[in-house]
Amino acid sequence: MAKTTIYAGLEIGTHKICVVVGEAKKDGAIKILGVGQAPSRGVRKGEIVDFETVQTCLNDALVRAEDRSDVMIRNVFLGVTGAHIQSLNNRGCYRLPDDQTEITEDDVEEAKEIARNVSIPQQNVFLHSVTRQYIVDGVEGVRQPIGREGRLLEADYHIIHGIRGRIQNAIRCVREIPLEVEDVVFNPVAAAQVVLTREAKTQGALMIDFGAGTCDYVLYQEGMITASGCVPLGGDHITNDVALALQIPNGRAERLKVEEGSVLYEDVPEGEMLSIEDDTGLVLGEVPRAFLNEVMSLRTREILEQVKARCAAHLAHLGAGVFLTGGVSLMKGVEALAHEVFGMKITRAGSAPVSGITSTFENPQFSAPIGLIRYAQILDAEKPYLSPLKRLGRRMQEILSSIAV
Amino acid sequence: MVEYERTPSAGARDKAPRICIVGVGGAGSNVIDRITLDRIVDGTLVCMHTDIRVLSHSMAPVKVQLGVELMKGIGAGGDPDLGREAALFSREQIRQAIEGHDIIFISAGLGGGSGSGAAPVIAEIAKNTGALVLVVASMPFAFEGRRRIGQAEEALELLQKRADALVLFENNRMGELVLPKDGIQKAFTLADQLIAQCVRAVATITATPGLVKLGLDDLTAALSTANGRCLFGFGEARGQNRGTEALKKALKSPLIDQGRLLHQTRTLLVHVAGGESLTLVEVEGIMKQLGRNVPDQTHILFGLAVDAKLGDSVAVTLISSLGLAQLNAHAAAAPPAEMMAPRAEAAAPVPAVAPPAPRRESRRAPAAPKQEESFLFAAEEIMPEPAPAQPKLADDFVEAAEPASEAREAFEDSAEVHGDADDSPPWGEEADEQAGVDHPAPVFAPTPETARIPVRTPAAKELADAARENGRGLAAVVARSVTLQTEPPPVQQDDLLVLDPPAPASTITASIVSRSKPVEQPTLGIGEEDRGRFKDTEPSIVDGDDLDVPTWKRLKMKLKA
Repeated sequence: MAKTTIYAGLEIGTHKICVVVGEAKKDGAIKILGVGQAPSRGVRKGEIVDFETVQTCLNDALVRAEDRSDVMIRNVFLGVTGAHIQSLNNRGCYRLPDDQTEITEDDVEEAKEIARNVSIPQQNVFLHSVTRQYIVDGVEGVRQPIGREGRLLEADYHIIHGIRGRIQNAIRCVREIPLEVEDVVFNPVAAAQVVLTREAKTQGALMIDFGAGTCDYVLYQEGMITASGCVPLGGDHITNDVALALQIPNGRAERLKVEEGSVLYEDVPEGEMLSIEDDTGLVLGEVPRAFLNEVMSLRTREILEQVKARCAAHLAHLGAGVFLTGGVSLMKGVEALAHEVFGMKITRAGSAPVSGITSTFENPQFSAPIGLIRYAQILDAEKPYLSPLKRLGRRMQEILSSIAV
Repeated sequence: MVEYERTPSAGARDKAPRICIVGVGGAGSNVIDRITLDRIVDGTLVCMHTDIRVLSHSMAPVKVQLGVELMKGIGAGGDPDLGREAALFSREQIRQAIEGHDIIFISAGLGGGSGSGAAPVIAEIAKNTGALVLVVASMPFAFEGRRRIGQAEEALELLQKRADALVLFENNRMGELVLPKDGIQKAFTLADQLIAQCVRAVATITATPGLVKLGLDDLTAALSTANGRCLFGFGEARGQNRGTEALKKALKSPLIDQGRLLHQTRTLLVHVAGGESLTLVEVEGIMKQLGRNVPDQTHILFGLAVDAKLGDSVAVTLISSLGLAQLNAHAAAAPPAEMMAPRAEAAAPVPAVAPPAPRRESRRAPAAPKQEESFLFAAEEIMPEPAPAQPKLADDFVEAAEPASEAREAFEDSAEVHGDADDSPPWGEEADEQAGVDHPAPVFAPTPETARIPVRTPAAKELADAARENGRGLAAVVARSVTLQTEPPPVQQDDLLVLDPPAPASTITASIVSRSKPVEQPTLGIGEEDRGRFKDTEPSIVDGDDLDVPTWKRLKMKLKA
């Protein structure tokens, strides 16, 4: 009998707050049970600026998710992003004692410890430290070093860190709902788990989660996470540019962008006009379509170029090309523009097929929250197996310690 | 003139080292003035400059005019080679002025002629007298252009070989000393004050005996970052909690950025000085608090001195250095918007920069008769002028058109020497006159060199505002500014004749505005209002551009400038 666990992923996005409830089966399959989303207010560039509004929206989304999935949500995996999140690769080197030739678990732990011991700014906190590979006596790409013969063990780590206060803020906001935060995950890391296939990761791929507030990216090479980060520019900026260029309110600009906008302006026939209507259908004015597209295109190109500049060092060997996901990847022509910028294969992708509501996983807007479920599953799988008795003991311990605190 | 006769007494005390402070060039002499006025250091103050006018205004008791025969009392005009020659010519006088001291400070603003050219020569002479040579230099503002920064870097290399220690300030960061609405005068005064404080601190640290002594070796260790810029903070406080207060003040120094910049430093020099009442608990408290601002692996060089002169106050000095790259990365988070001020002021009177604006404006204006009117009006105005000017025009042009950028530099020079307030009006008038003479000739206005100068003129701002009011006109503007990289000037010959005349008027008003209300200039940068929805968020700044401002707007500004 396959045992199942139910997880909930929560993403507080700039455009929408989204709760996904999923069921992870023991064999690795995921079934989406329900999705709750609510438009988000009080979030700018992926970071919460107005707590109360966000909490109201979050409550909405949560109630909807509980309704649809018929699950009561207590714990969530929280996806975070923001300009403050940075990443780096570090290598820890450990020389085995002279009288020992076989690598043991302790040695690996020691090497990991050294690798993780990097200096990050004082106010920062580690978000993830992912083992990329082990190197034994200069042989790269070792996945499992325990039991190998060797003298020198190196652990290669990808470390993602962010400012403690800002991450704490997001957690606090969720805790006040009240919801328990099981783990905090950097959004693109979660999204990559469902957008990129194992094969794409091995060939080398760049995944860009082009959201409303931020543009998060993660780059895989030879199956290893090599670079990740966040560009604090997104769909909101495109809307803002349109609003300021056409002198229309933000809401109308957003609608115009989604309904009519495209980033291809060269093929638009000269003189084609778009009428701007207000809510009652009254025509307020006309703008040339080429102009709207050009404004959008300039900004989109700039954002993609910013991403490119940040991972320029690793762009050489990306066999699988670039994967675009997130809300802005739905925009017309963004593929062609990205191809111009990156000069490689561009794939627009949502989450890989999972069972459940089809419209959910096919929509690139939900890549990150679904990814959170997958991430939770991977995390659990990596945990050492505990007998039910031990698990109970640990549970009791947790409860006791929480009372003591 | 302030008489300043402390040197003999300083020399008489045979224990105290004899200190000499030399200010070279415009920036250096300002620092000397500041030190003289505040009387903060005991020592001989010497001012050296090629320009006799600056020297005559200087308050330093000893003055050396560099290259009397060579330069004839005129400044080096931004040419370091001239500055060097001048200093070589007067090396005897320099030697006489600085001989017989134990420590010689050389303060110079790099990038200009006298500062970059003469300072290395003076440093070498100082070294030859057997004294300890400490150089306190400031790098030019980024807006002063690549060439000046290049000159400054060359001079820096020369100085590095000759000086025992080099304290380098980044002018760009000085902008954060003052509030954006403060006057330019205040900005420069504060910058000078900071350098003066630094000179004093370094003098005290290296010269006074302390309980825990810090020597020159510690100072050089603290400053030994490759291509490093000095981080300096100084705070003095008295009364209750004086230790904490003093440290707070020291950390408040913009060069340290509330202690944030200290997170990245490897070596930090801390000097605590107090009167006889200084207690161990206070010192411990200061160091503990400082520890929170500094990463664990930072090497802290700690010094402690009891100085009766301080009375019941405590002084904390922090000195460290940070690589330019790190500094820039950090500074990018907060661009010194007020730094636009001197540049804009300098640029406004240069006639060639302004014309594009009115041209665009009038093209946008649909009223044709108005154009004719202004043309007639201007023609009348110009008519009497060209006749006498025409024969002169040719050589005037060689002078005016080609070294436009040089003229700008020179003007900035005079802006730097902010003490000479009466210096600028003649400049402005000259520029206005030039504007009057130049405009009838269509060749001059669209000179590509001048068009490329990255200046945000008031006119450009006006244009941006005007363009925003008119959505449809903007479409054309954006489309044009993006698709056409440059405008083809020759085609518009007759166009220019019609459209140029409003230009003189606008340049005059621009220069008047900049002269009467320099305080309002700082808002010229990319303003808050341009960021729209992202007004109250942390700006996303990459390479000095605020990416929250619409892309099209930034592109347009770049093309305009």
